[in-house]
Amino acid sequence: MISGPLQTEVPLMPDQLAELLGLDALGIAGDFVGALIAAALIATIMMLNAALAGPWAKRKITAAFTDRIAVNRVGPFGLFIIIADSVRLLSKELIIPEGADRPAYDVGPLLVVLSALGGFAVIPLGSLGPLNFQLADPEIGLVYVFAVASIASLGLVMCGYASDNKYSMLGGLRAVAQNLAYEIPLIVTAMSVVIFAGTLQLSEIVAAQQETLVTVAGVAIPTWFAFVNPFAFVLFLTANLAEVGRNPFDTPEAPTEIVAGYQTEYSSVYFVLIYLGEFLHIFLGGAIIAVVFLGGASGPVLPGLLWMIIKMWAVFLFTQWARSAIPRVRIDQLIEIGWKGLLVLSFANLILTAVIVGVLTV
Amino acid sequence: MSKQEKPVPADIGVDESGEVDYDEIEALLGDLVLDREEHINAEGFVIRPDEVQEALFRLRDEAEFDHLSLVTSQQYEDRFESIYHLKKYKDPTQEVSVVVPTTTDNPVSQSAEPVYRTAEWHEREAYDLMGIEYEGHPDLRRILLPETWQGHPLRNEYDQDRPQIVSLTEHANPLQDDHRGNEEQSDTMFLNIGPHHPATHGVLHLKTVLDGEQVADVEPDIGYLHRCEEQMCEQGTYRHQIMPYPDRWDYISAGLLNEWAYARAAEDLADLDVPEYAQIIRTMGAEMCRIASHMLALATFALDINGDFTATFMYAIQDRERVQNLLEDLTGQRLMFNYFRLGGVAWDLPEPREEFFEKTRDFLDDLPESVAEYHNLLTNNEVLQARTIDTGVLNHDVAKQYGATGPVARGSGVDYDIRRDDPYGYYDELDWDVVTEDGCDNFSRLLVRMQEVEESAKIIDQCVDLLEDWPEEDRTIQSNVPRTLKPDADTEIYRSVEGAKGELGIYIRADGTDKPGRFKIRSPCFSNLQPLPEMSEGGYIADLVATLGSLDIVLGEVDR
Repeated sequence: MISGPLQTEVPLMPDQLAELLGLDALGIAGDFVGALIAAALIATIMMLNAALAGPWAKRKITAAFTDRIAVNRVGPFGLFIIIADSVRLLSKELIIPEGADRPAYDVGPLLVVLSALGGFAVIPLGSLGPLNFQLADPEIGLVYVFAVASIASLGLVMCGYASDNKYSMLGGLRAVAQNLAYEIPLIVTAMSVVIFAGTLQLSEIVAAQQETLVTVAGVAIPTWFAFVNPFAFVLFLTANLAEVGRNPFDTPEAPTEIVAGYQTEYSSVYFVLIYLGEFLHIFLGGAIIAVVFLGGASGPVLPGLLWMIIKMWAVFLFTQWARSAIPRVRIDQLIEIGWKGLLVLSFANLILTAVIVGVLTV
Repeated sequence: MSKQEKPVPADIGVDESGEVDYDEIEALLGDLVLDREEHINAEGFVIRPDEVQEALFRLRDEAEFDHLSLVTSQQYEDRFESIYHLKKYKDPTQEVSVVVPTTTDNPVSQSAEPVYRTAEWHEREAYDLMGIEYEGHPDLRRILLPETWQGHPLRNEYDQDRPQIVSLTEHANPLQDDHRGNEEQSDTMFLNIGPHHPATHGVLHLKTVLDGEQVADVEPDIGYLHRCEEQMCEQGTYRHQIMPYPDRWDYISAGLLNEWAYARAAEDLADLDVPEYAQIIRTMGAEMCRIASHMLALATFALDINGDFTATFMYAIQDRERVQNLLEDLTGQRLMFNYFRLGGVAWDLPEPREEFFEKTRDFLDDLPESVAEYHNLLTNNEVLQARTIDTGVLNHDVAKQYGATGPVARGSGVDYDIRRDDPYGYYDELDWDVVTEDGCDNFSRLLVRMQEVEESAKIIDQCVDLLEDWPEEDRTIQSNVPRTLKPDADTEIYRSVEGAKGELGIYIRADGTDKPGRFKIRSPCFSNLQPLPEMSEGGYIADLVATLGSLDIVLGEVDR
């Protein structure tokens, strides 16, 4: 784990836990155990979110968009479907194609999940009571998040080619082409925020958004970068849709065209892993958007961690909305939008921001 | 009379009144004519098997018979016969049949494929089921049955009782001829799309060769849902036993439209009248089926373009559900209606009638709002426009060559609708329009279907008005039809109606018994599917799927 020198006064979660549990005495081993517990805690929170979103919330949200009711028989509001679905998915037969290229076939789904979880290591998730939910706060936090998250592309390609299925292959190739085309605009747009904040450290980026921009009718609008630079925010949201593979950019899966893309041959636990990975990536995307554009964990009344989760869910809701309403673009159009549209716009945004910031600071 | 009548210019083979002048046709064909036959719908000219192309070229180029509607093959005691049912796109009441007899021991006849490309599939079917060989056919293979099938099942000498089990290994290996060109250097990929695939709308198998994401070659492989519908109809009596089958051709809620195809052919064959009141009920029910069918087409097209969580799908299914409820009230069934009878319909409108009318009116009142919403979600969406405009292009002339009909043809600017051009039922008394679009692409076909829904609503509305005011003592739902129908031997008829997918025609030859001697179905989907390779080759795989969706085929009707 990368760890930079601390610049914030609030200690990070591993240290807090080590102190709380009296592990200080153990020295480095104590730090290690504290970090392990903290990591497990944050991973559990995220996976709980995914578990809630996958079998239940997604059904309910899509149903609301399409005038249906969805699960309502198993438990209150159908919530116990989460348990029923878990049992169902885990008890399915794990079918591995004869021509599968192992261990790539097995490693692919793991990479998808781990890359998403790895991204959460540096996200300042806010505080709950005395605990500050952030594992590490390196100076290059933003770069780290993008780097780790994009490892998922590698996982998707492995899933695609190792399945020995032509539809998987097509899906894997589409996933790479798409991620290449959209990761660059995503990062370039994020860079424009870095110019404002003057740092790559995520906690500092959040801190830079806490001042008041303007006061409209007694309500203080904070300097969230979504308000400071709405253009960058829209660009980032769009590129993020492609990054997580949701309409109009869900071509790597494209169920009606290439069956299920890279995940066609995966069943049982592996299917759960890929599915989980997808949801974690949506939430990671939401977390990045919250940190970079929506003031991180800040918000009135509720504790920071809750605000963070609310913001992540808002982004999740947005992806589901897009999924229900917007048609899917074709792969060539998708690449065209990425390279000819978003890339150009994101560079324009970067240069413009640089000029404005330069003028303001001189 | 019809309010949308098109002017018909006089030309070769047509007299002043717009009727076909068969003497003039005979003069046009000259020595080629061996004999003339009288069919109920049109006259047939008997042509030598080695002069088929010559005769058809003359009829197409000089007498403007540009629509090969159907090819029927049948076996007599002493000969095989292929009948080419020709029509004109500009006026389908002008018909002529070309009858080509061949000997029993050497059934070889010239192929019509160079004249009409639609003949390719029709003749493959005739070869498959009847064993007639067509000389000069580009690709004479079985089409409905597996390639290793033994014998031709519609022949008299075929042993119907001997089961044939064709295992996958015996079936020609679909992975052979994987790649075009040199195996080593080829960089194309063969891909089986279907028979089980989310986008094939049934059990269709597309043998596709991909060059990257682009379609280099695609060949539809049909027949997975072949249920011998024609043969089953040949074993049922005219009066009652055949009517349930049409519901099972286009099983996606187009049941009444299909039933009408049989009813129209059989009623004309046996010279039966249908009371006016029953015709109005038929017209209303048929248009309800059309709305239900188009709603499903719209819904699944949205699935193909949007992906499987689209709201449009559920919205359209909900509207379809309301039509289904109306049809259930009317016929007592939701899918397999079996509501038409020869000479009328099974029973009168449900009691209390006012409630039924009110329900129907409510639906019609809400429909414009729904359609506006679909336009909002689909046709006004720029992403959808980018996906569908100028993709899956089927040009005007190509559409005619392939015998395309229905919304597929009308989306290519072919102004052809049997309801108006060859009126039946109550259509020519009502005020409605035929919708055409000139885009020739997936978008046009979508637009045509959405507008046709509104036209159908107009028709239903007028029918409800008429039915409401219909005097109670005059509500005859069936004319007097003999218990047993035995049309004279060797009377032949070919009649078609405008089904949900296009021209649905039935050919019947009576053999003097109470069951048909030959029963042949002209499936619009069969003809509409054939140009798919032409429309999708060179495009992207996503557009192949969209194009297939826009053709709106039902495999139950393609394979019969």
